[in-house]
Amino acid sequence: MSAFTLPSASLLSQSVLSGVFVGALYGLMGLGLSLSWGLLRLINLAHFAFAFLAAYLCYQMTTMHVDPLLTLIAIVPAFFAVGAALHWVMARFSVTPFNSLLLTFGLMGIVEAIIQTIWTADFRKLESSYGEMKFKVGGLFVPIPEFITLLLAVGISLAVWAVLRYTDLGKAMRAAAEDAPIASAFGVNQQRNALLLAGTCAALASIAGVCLALSFTLAPSQMYAWIGVVFAAVMLGGLGRALGPLIAGTLIGVSEAITMAVTAPSWAPIVSFTLLIVILVLRPGKAA
Amino acid sequence: MKRTPIFILGVGVLLAFVPKLGLPAFYDSLLYLMLHWIVLATSWNMLSGYTGYFSFGHGAFFGAGLYTTSTLLARYDWPFLWTLPVAALVAALLGVALGAVVFRVKSVRGELFALLTLAITFVIGTIVVNTPLDGGNGVSLAAVPVPAIGPTPSSTFYLLALAAATLTMLIAWAIFVSKFGAGLFAIHDDEDAAEVMGVPTYRYKLLALAISCALAGVAGGIHALFLSYVTVGEVFTITVPLTVVLMSVLGGTRHWAGPAVGAVAITGLLYSFTAADHAVAGKAMIGVILIAAILFMPDGILLRVQKLFRKRAATPGVTHPPSKPPAQDAARPAVGAAGDVLLQVRGLQKSFKGVRALTGVDVDVRRGEILGLLGPNGSGKSTFINVVTGHFMPTAGQIVFEGRELAGQPAHRIAAAGIARTYQIPRPFAHLSVLDNVALATMFGGAVHDVAAARRQAMTWLEFTGLVEKATARPDDLNLHQRKFLELARALASKPRLVLLDEVLCGLTPSEIDDAVALIRRIRDQGSTIVFVEHVMRAVMALTDRIVVFNHGVLLAEGSATDVMQRPEVMTAYLGSPHKELAHA
Amino acid sequence: MLEVRDLQVAYGAAPALWGVSLDVRDGELLCVVGPNGAGKTTLINTIAGILRARSGRLVFGGHDVTALPPHRFCEAGIAVVPEGRRLFTGMSVLENLELGSYLSPAKAHRKESLAAALALFPALKEKLASPAGELSGGQQQMVAIARALMARPRLLLLDEPSLGLSPLIVRDMFAAIRRINAGGVSVLMVEQNVVMAMEVSTRAYVLEEGRIVAEGAPDELLARPEIQRAYLGV
Repeated sequence: MSAFTLPSASLLSQSVLSGVFVGALYGLMGLGLSLSWGLLRLINLAHFAFAFLAAYLCYQMTTMHVDPLLTLIAIVPAFFAVGAALHWVMARFSVTPFNSLLLTFGLMGIVEAIIQTIWTADFRKLESSYGEMKFKVGGLFVPIPEFITLLLAVGISLAVWAVLRYTDLGKAMRAAAEDAPIASAFGVNQQRNALLLAGTCAALASIAGVCLALSFTLAPSQMYAWIGVVFAAVMLGGLGRALGPLIAGTLIGVSEAITMAVTAPSWAPIVSFTLLIVILVLRPGKAA
Repeated sequence: MKRTPIFILGVGVLLAFVPKLGLPAFYDSLLYLMLHWIVLATSWNMLSGYTGYFSFGHGAFFGAGLYTTSTLLARYDWPFLWTLPVAALVAALLGVALGAVVFRVKSVRGELFALLTLAITFVIGTIVVNTPLDGGNGVSLAAVPVPAIGPTPSSTFYLLALAAATLTMLIAWAIFVSKFGAGLFAIHDDEDAAEVMGVPTYRYKLLALAISCALAGVAGGIHALFLSYVTVGEVFTITVPLTVVLMSVLGGTRHWAGPAVGAVAITGLLYSFTAADHAVAGKAMIGVILIAAILFMPDGILLRVQKLFRKRAATPGVTHPPSKPPAQDAARPAVGAAGDVLLQVRGLQKSFKGVRALTGVDVDVRRGEILGLLGPNGSGKSTFINVVTGHFMPTAGQIVFEGRELAGQPAHRIAAAGIARTYQIPRPFAHLSVLDNVALATMFGGAVHDVAAARRQAMTWLEFTGLVEKATARPDDLNLHQRKFLELARALASKPRLVLLDEVLCGLTPSEIDDAVALIRRIRDQGSTIVFVEHVMRAVMALTDRIVVFNHGVLLAEGSATDVMQRPEVMTAYLGSPHKELAHA
Repeated sequence: MLEVRDLQVAYGAAPALWGVSLDVRDGELLCVVGPNGAGKTTLINTIAGILRARSGRLVFGGHDVTALPPHRFCEAGIAVVPEGRRLFTGMSVLENLELGSYLSPAKAHRKESLAAALALFPALKEKLASPAGELSGGQQQMVAIARALMARPRLLLLDEPSLGLSPLIVRDMFAAIRRINAGGVSVLMVEQNVVMAMEVSTRAYVLEEGRIVAEGAPDELLARPEIQRAYLGV
């Protein structure tokens, strides 16, 4: 076990900054999950599968010389459709919320197998024109791909927040999550809204996947490493809240970064889990 | 049913002779894997299938056992067989540590528990990879000698796994037929109701978790030497949890042998893939089968098959009704004379997030009486029952029953003290038969330990309430009247001295109400004291010795029914402003 | 305006209404009274579309609405003030009101409806931004009624509006309901508080154990032994 070492101020600030960036990705990954769990009462483990599949598809398209961000044009609608279709199937078979967990668990296994078959277990790194670019702000380096992720995460979270807060559709979704029969009694068509939301959550996962591909090396087994920390961000941020995952994710990312700077990189996963246990023990009502 | 353990042991012994057949090592390995998965899936099912707390972290405990063994072997040169009990212990301790924290938090049910346990797999993996336990390079056990239990090393592993599997199946069966198992299944269906009926839910969950983890640890220990080179990446992944969930769901989580059926089926299937070099497709196959199982067969294969057989033959395991009903046991002997104060409530308060449901209730319940609890909607009657029986904790006040202070006690202790209740909307355990629903109450509220004896006693209660023909039916098959009587039978089965009935007549037709009234009288004549919340006024008039009227969380009036209902303040509470004509009518 | 014919409604295996028939005439303020367990909430929820009837018919404004999906009832012109208010407690009072006028025809008139609702319940003006869950029982009831009004219904359903409220607040609320009715909205109210209910309505039914047992003008019904027996048992 490495001894504790106190890093220099500039190293620490660079670490915190990279923590912010990775935290933004946690938040973006967690957004769809949080909305699905909080507003639809469905825990969709396939969310991670969608994200990784999108990441691999993005990678594949860049090998054909398509700019990674342009791949979003094809990817987002495709995953929207897939998400809505999945929800439709589960509604059609009246799958209980708990069984939806099992079902999407199975789906995760299938998608991993598909990824492994097509792209093998080798590590894949996306090559793009701005992959290595970075700019300097003050004494700190800001890598472009991570910066793009941060912008997307903040922008999308704010957009979702605004929709939920200010539009009638957003209010209808929130109302239906609280009391579906009464929302219905005032004209809210929850079946249709749920399909819309499920599709949106899958689309959000796909965007997170593309961001993932921009900054990280891909391997099928990596999918599972994100589960713990993203769920922690979702639960800490409060279910169904648009800005929650982003804020919690940033908190976790920065905590991890500081831990890594002070001890060793491999201890990072402990941070989120510990935070989660602590929150659950101290404020049990918050998560559920 | 004692034949089953003998059968399991017999099969175990028989299979021990397989290595003598001199089959190629390939078969030893295949059989080893099947047994290995039988242990993992069956042990998983003991917690997750029986109680419904699906754990996605079985890999963590399996891995803990695996690494305990490998560390003891590689670093400390322990003899292999001695590492196995230690592996079991370490895994169990890990599980109990997690459970002790997580089971206390009421909101960590179902989905949350699953996710937490999923996360813990990676956390443990991280810890292992960062410490000298693995250090990132894996642990090589090539130099460790395999004990010569069988003619060849591969047959040794087969025999070890066989022993573990036999042990696991025996334990799974033993739990299934015991009082402990009945409690676990009750927790699965309705944890709160189980707690109120006397099941010590926290303790039971921890025990099931400990046993489940210990067995997984043993499987891990054996597997460590089997692999002879262990790495974190192979062990602390999602493969183990995903596979055991599938095997158990496919085979049937509500039966002790279900996971084993699933394990054999899936291992066979997977092996045909790996043999043909399509390991990855195997993983996809698991996912597909799991999804198909959830969509089309959520109860599993075994139960489907059982259902087919149940429709034809009579159900075994339920004793036919005794030829002559034994004399009705009175409620446990009453201590003290009729008319003594049995329950004394003083200053009882209960607030929910600022709303005061009970604002200081004082009431006495006398032994042997039938006390009616009345009051308009929202006056606090149901809250009163919920607080007295321990479903909710009081905010303030005292509840003294037969001289013992009960306020603040967990519900299962209050049940054990001799208080029982029915729910306004019946809450039977949906997956248990009518008889088992009542037997559960006998075992936990009435402190009967032997399952067969509990079933016999339960039968007498079914006779008392006229439900004998429905003994083997599921609660879903009963109509409302019968379900309410089932609630009554359950409440009575723990032989309580005080029974609290919550709107037991609501929704019944007039003739059914007459039956129920007669039944309630018989219950009192048997020696129980009854408090009942009711709105059906003619029942209240006919049955009660005394009534109390609640209003806005306090007692408004007390006395005989005819007297109290004519008092102006009571009429105001019910009808609105006092109406002079009504008072004179 | 509303015809209910032979309504049979059950909760799973438990029947709650046994062939209930009643009429609400245009512009009427009608009361259904009955003790607990009589089936009043079941009746309201079925007319509001929240529950589905096992058999029977609901004809509203000449259209058979019995088989409509739940979210189409509001469109038809029926709005409900459910038992226990059932506000969206996590959302603000204003958002609750806005949800009342979720559908387009009501949405177009949202500003007017809001102004009218606030004129009826001035106490809500300061509470618009507060989370609905933080209001007192009486205020919540006002929000619930206002929410239903925002839908600009032709028929307003009220389920035990006086539940858990003090007599003074109940009096004010019933006065507001009278004003709403005077504005042209038909009202069907189920209540436990018999005397108050009878004071505001022009006609009443008595529901007992899932069946209508009496019908008539309030003062006539009040004097009848049925009411006394049903409620007080004496």
